[in-house]
Amino acid sequence: MPVSAPEPRSPLVQALKPGRHGAVGARQVTLRAYRRSLVQLQARKGRAADLATAVRQGLGLALPPPGRAETSPTLAAIWIQPSAWLLCAPYLAEGDLARSVRAAVGSAGAVVDQTHGKSVLRLSGPTARAVLETGCRIDLHPRAFAPGQAAATPVGHIDCILRQLDNAPSYELIVASTLAEAFVDWLLHAAAAYGCEVLPPD
Amino acid sequence: MHRIDCPWCGVRDEIEFAYRGDATVKRPEAGAGVDAFYAYVYERGNPRGWHIEWWHHAAGCRQWIKVLRHTLTHEIRATAKAGDTVTAPKP
Ligand SMILES: [Zn+2]
Repeated sequence: MPVSAPEPRSPLVQALKPGRHGAVGARQVTLRAYRRSLVQLQARKGRAADLATAVRQGLGLALPPPGRAETSPTLAAIWIQPSAWLLCAPYLAEGDLARSVRAAVGSAGAVVDQTHGKSVLRLSGPTARAVLETGCRIDLHPRAFAPGQAAATPVGHIDCILRQLDNAPSYELIVASTLAEAFVDWLLHAAAAYGCEVLPPD
Repeated sequence: MHRIDCPWCGVRDEIEFAYRGDATVKRPEAGAGVDAFYAYVYERGNPRGWHIEWWHHAAGCRQWIKVLRHTLTHEIRATAKAGDTVTAPKP
């Protein structure tokens, strides 16, 4: 009898209750969990140029240089280490993104499904930067960090892939699913002074 | 607290890195004998001055990088990718 892989169930379904947390007022941030398919893509030795071409032709995206993210309407690619990127797309079905990326890159890259391994959150609002600054050691001031930039760095003592999405400002935060509950616990405390509206998961 | 300029990520706090020792030791040839391998694995200088070191950017890009650090003043004068050459100033 065929056994299908379980659907990715974010630990945040239990931990992140929709509603208002902390202070009430105009300075509040919004926080939302996103259901995403994630894969790590790494160039095979000596195949970085082939991989870039394959991704551009097959997935319609330019692989970004260090410190940056590149997006198309359906896909985001975040640089995470030399010759390696995290690809992120709306979740449609188990293994969907890994299958399409494998088909696009062939032997030029190694594809590892991270859909269950990592959880995706967005923090948004005029005070979002102030909230993150209480636990993030890189400079998020607009002169140093802007939409399209990304960094792997600890936030609230938990390793995080951080990406700025827009000038609201909105930040995407990707953490290990095993630490997502602890991360959200920290984030809600960090945001309590401004208030945080938790939206239902996407 | 050091601020280390990762060649991949830019300037980051020391807390993101793990110190990985002397970056100048070279593995001996396969037939070099027990004494040469003992020295390679266990024996290290403890210089007062410039030191070329491995630092692992464990909480960032996960790459090993070379760092030229002064062991007395803690000044970091240069950083480089693992395959690049770093030269220590004359003491
Ligand atoms: Zn780095």
